[in-house]
Amino acid sequence: MDIKLIRKLIALMQESEITEFRYKDGDLYISLRKGQPQTSSVQSKPAVEKEIGKTDEERELVEIKSPMVGTFYRSPSPGAPPYVEEGQSVKKGDVLCIIEAMKIMNEIEAEFPCIIKKVMVKNAQRVEYGTTLFLAKRA
Amino acid sequence: MFKKILVANRGEIALRVIRACKELDIKTVIAYSYEDRESIPVKISDEKVCIGPSSSDKSYLNMAAIAEAVLQTNADAVHPGYGFLSENPSFAGVCRDLNVTFIGPSIPLMKYLSNKLEVKKRLKRANIPTILGSDGVVQSAGEAKEIARKIGYPVLFKAVWGGGGRGLRIVREEKDIENAFSAAREEARVSFGKADVYMERFIEHPKHVEVQILADKFGNVIHLFERDCTLQRRHQKLLEESPSPFLSEKKRKEILDAAVKIARILNYENVGTAEFLLDEQGNFYFIEINTRIQVEHPVTEMCTGIDIMKEQIKLAAGEKLNINQKDVNVKFHSMECRINAEDERFIPSPGRIEKLFIPGGPGVRVDTAIYGGCSVTPYYDSLIAKLIVRGNTRDETIGRMERALDEFIVEGIKTNIPFFKKIVSSDRFKNKDYDTNYIDRNF
Repeated sequence: MDIKLIRKLIALMQESEITEFRYKDGDLYISLRKGQPQTSSVQSKPAVEKEIGKTDEERELVEIKSPMVGTFYRSPSPGAPPYVEEGQSVKKGDVLCIIEAMKIMNEIEAEFPCIIKKVMVKNAQRVEYGTTLFLAKRA
Repeated sequence: MFKKILVANRGEIALRVIRACKELDIKTVIAYSYEDRESIPVKISDEKVCIGPSSSDKSYLNMAAIAEAVLQTNADAVHPGYGFLSENPSFAGVCRDLNVTFIGPSIPLMKYLSNKLEVKKRLKRANIPTILGSDGVVQSAGEAKEIARKIGYPVLFKAVWGGGGRGLRIVREEKDIENAFSAAREEARVSFGKADVYMERFIEHPKHVEVQILADKFGNVIHLFERDCTLQRRHQKLLEESPSPFLSEKKRKEILDAAVKIARILNYENVGTAEFLLDEQGNFYFIEINTRIQVEHPVTEMCTGIDIMKEQIKLAAGEKLNINQKDVNVKFHSMECRINAEDERFIPSPGRIEKLFIPGGPGVRVDTAIYGGCSVTPYYDSLIAKLIVRGNTRDETIGRMERALDEFIVEGIKTNIPFFKKIVSSDRFKNKDYDTNYIDRNF
C-alpha cells in the first residue's frame, strides 16, 4: 500500500462532502473518517482565549481597592498634578489618591512598595467600598 | 410620594422594604456590606452601593458611608428597617441635614422617648397605668431602701437611658439593695454612658403584650390590635401571636384604648408599638414605645390584611391615614416563629445552607432572604427567617405551625426549628400556661 495513495484519498475526502470512506481489496483495508467541524472549533477556542487572556505579568498584579464609598480624585486639588501616574514607583505610605466622603478628603496611601501599572477609575468618578482603583505590581 | 428609597439594612427586612417599594412603584437603593454582596436584596434592588466591609460598625452602622450612598444615588428617603440605625436620633439628624426623609418618627420625638423615666412620669400624670416605682432617678442606696419599703419587694433597678435588658437588677431583700444599686449604676454607665437608674416593683410572672399603632402628621391615630410576645428567652422575643391568648375582651379594649391615648399624648407619628406587661391579676402596665417597624409586624398583617410596611412609607411621605378604626378587623389568628441560625444551646451556627425547603400551603408566609447555597455569616443577627401562619382559631393556627415547622428543611447549619417544634406542640403552650420566664426556667 502506497502512502501516497492514502494521502491522495485524504485530500480528495477533504474536498468532498464525504465524511466516511471504507475500502477493501483482499488483505487491504482502509477506513477514513473526517473529524466533526464543530468539535475542532471548540477545541481551538481555549487557545484563542489564552491569547486574549491575562499575560503572566498581569496575573501578578495586585488590585488596590477603595476602602470606602465616595468620590475618587487623582490629585490634591483641581489642576494640580496627579499623585501618581501609570508606571510610577511608590513607597509604602505614599499618597495614591483621595476619596472624598461626606466633604472629608481621605488620602489613600500605598500599603506596600509597588509600581502603579494602571489607574482603573476616572477622576471625580464615584466609587464604592471594594471598587478597584489601581492595578499595581509589588516592588 | 418618594421616588427612590435607600434601604439601610440587610436580610429579610431589607427584602421586605424592597417588596413594599416595588408595590408602591418606588425605586430602591440597597446600601450593603461586602459580606452581603451575593444576597437577594442586593440582587433585586434597582440600585446598590457597597458601603463597607463585613463588620457592621464599618457598614450598616457607618452613618457617613450611608450618607455618601444617599448623595451618590439621589435617594429622597432612607428606610432603616429594625436594629442598626433604626432608633438612632443622630442618624435621623444626618438624614435631615441631607434633606432626605428618615422613615420613622420625628427627631424631637425620638429624643424625648429615649428618656424612659420622663415618658413614664408624663403618662402616669395622664392616668395611664405604669408600674409602681420611684418618681425620678434614685440618688442613693438609702433612698432606694425607702422606696422599696413603700412599693414592696421584689424591686427592679432600671437604666434611665437604657434598653435591651442591660442595666437591670432584681432585688428580693433589703440586704441586697446596696450591691444591686451600685452594680446597676455601673452597668448603665458602661452600656449607655449615663449611670442614672430608677426603680420599679418587679412583676414575677408577667405576660408581654404590645399594641401596633399607626399615626399620621394630622393627629389621626389608630391601632391594629395587639400582639402577644410572652414567649421570650433572655428578653429576646421568640414567638409572637395575635390575638393575645391572655386578654379578656374587657382588658383588650382597655389596653387598645390606652395605646391610642398614649400615642395622642406623645403626639406620636408614623408606626409605633406601645409595650405593656400584664401581672398575675391581669392588670396591665405601660413599659415603653418602640419607634421602629417591629420584627413581628407580619403577625398583625396576617390578622388584619393591612400592609404595615406600605402604610409606614406612606405616613413618612406625609400622607393622611386612609384607614378608619372601625374598618380594622381581626379576621384570623396568627403566629410567628423567629427562625434563628443557632444550635440546641442557642449558640449561633453560621455556615453554608446546603439544602433548603421553605414551607408553604394555605395560611403560611415566610419572610426570609436565605436560599439554597447561601452563606449565613457570623457578622450579624442570627435571625434567618420568620415563619408566620394564620388560621381561623388558635388551635388551627397551632396545628398549621406544627405542620409548617415539619416541612421546613434547612441543612448545612443548625436552626432552632427543633426547639420550636417542642414548644409549639407542648401542652403548656397549647393550654396558655406560661409567662415571660418560661423558656429561661425550662430550657
